[in-house]
Amino acid sequence: MSTRRPGSRLQTPTPAEPKANGSDGQQQRNSVYLGPNDRLVGQLFIEGDLRVSGKVEGQLEATGDIEIAGAGTVSGTVTAYNRLVVGGGASLIGGDVRVARLQIDDGATFSGHVSMGKAAIEASRPVMAEPAPPPAPEPEPTPVEVTPVVIDTEPAAKKGRRR
Amino acid sequence: MDVQEAVAEGTASVDNGEVKHDARKQFQMGPGDILEGKLIYDGSIRADGRVEGEVRVTGNIDVANGANIKALLEGANVTLKGQVEGAVTARDKLTLGRNARLSGDITVRRLQIDDGATLNGHVRMGDFEHQASGQ
Repeated sequence: MSTRRPGSRLQTPTPAEPKANGSDGQQQRNSVYLGPNDRLVGQLFIEGDLRVSGKVEGQLEATGDIEIAGAGTVSGTVTAYNRLVVGGGASLIGGDVRVARLQIDDGATFSGHVSMGKAAIEASRPVMAEPAPPPAPEPEPTPVEVTPVVIDTEPAAKKGRRR
Repeated sequence: MDVQEAVAEGTASVDNGEVKHDARKQFQMGPGDILEGKLIYDGSIRADGRVEGEVRVTGNIDVANGANIKALLEGANVTLKGQVEGAVTARDKLTLGRNARLSGDITVRRLQIDDGATLNGHVRMGDFEHQASGQ
């Protein structure tokens, strides 16, 4: 009767790992956990690790590890710069998977295209893209022509001031 | 990992050229052996050395550590510990050991990939009945 708080039960299983960052600072990697009752539709980029035992439809990307655990279900693109683990009761369906390391436990449901190795991941990194190719937008010839015009007017003005 | 040892245990000796259906035949290759072409075999194969072409068996396929396979593989349980290039179909389970390197599309009922294995290809789970299962 008195326990009518709807959220009280659900919060219990969630390990409050992110709070460990407060003491250790930036040494500890960020970790995000989507519990069994959590659901995500869309895109998620995490600088750190990601653990999913809920339901995800969309794109997941993490700079660390991604683990689909418990009865977690992910349908969509998954990119882990380090390791992807799909647990025994979990499922990953239908998307492009780009990872450095991959572990799939027996009993997992898995389908999709897998690309492994550093080359596969670097190709998918938009953040680290180096702006080497754009040398075109440099309008150098125009200021060269303007400069002599300015020089012609300046001495005239200076002479006027001196007199 | 311990499961695979049971398969290796059964490799003892099958010297009879023709064995009855009841006994599982074992096609055993060594690290220096070479197989080129198409093999359809009623039994299990332990592939080692070099294999090129196509291998379809009714039993299990076990690719040894250090083997170099460029072939289409189809078997009931397929266990890879070496390097494989080509499509792989496991009517039951495909296992990639920690040293396995597979590039090719795979069709499986169950899948286990150990950490350290490398996979590049498309994974399909479930219905592959349109393929000639059996022979």
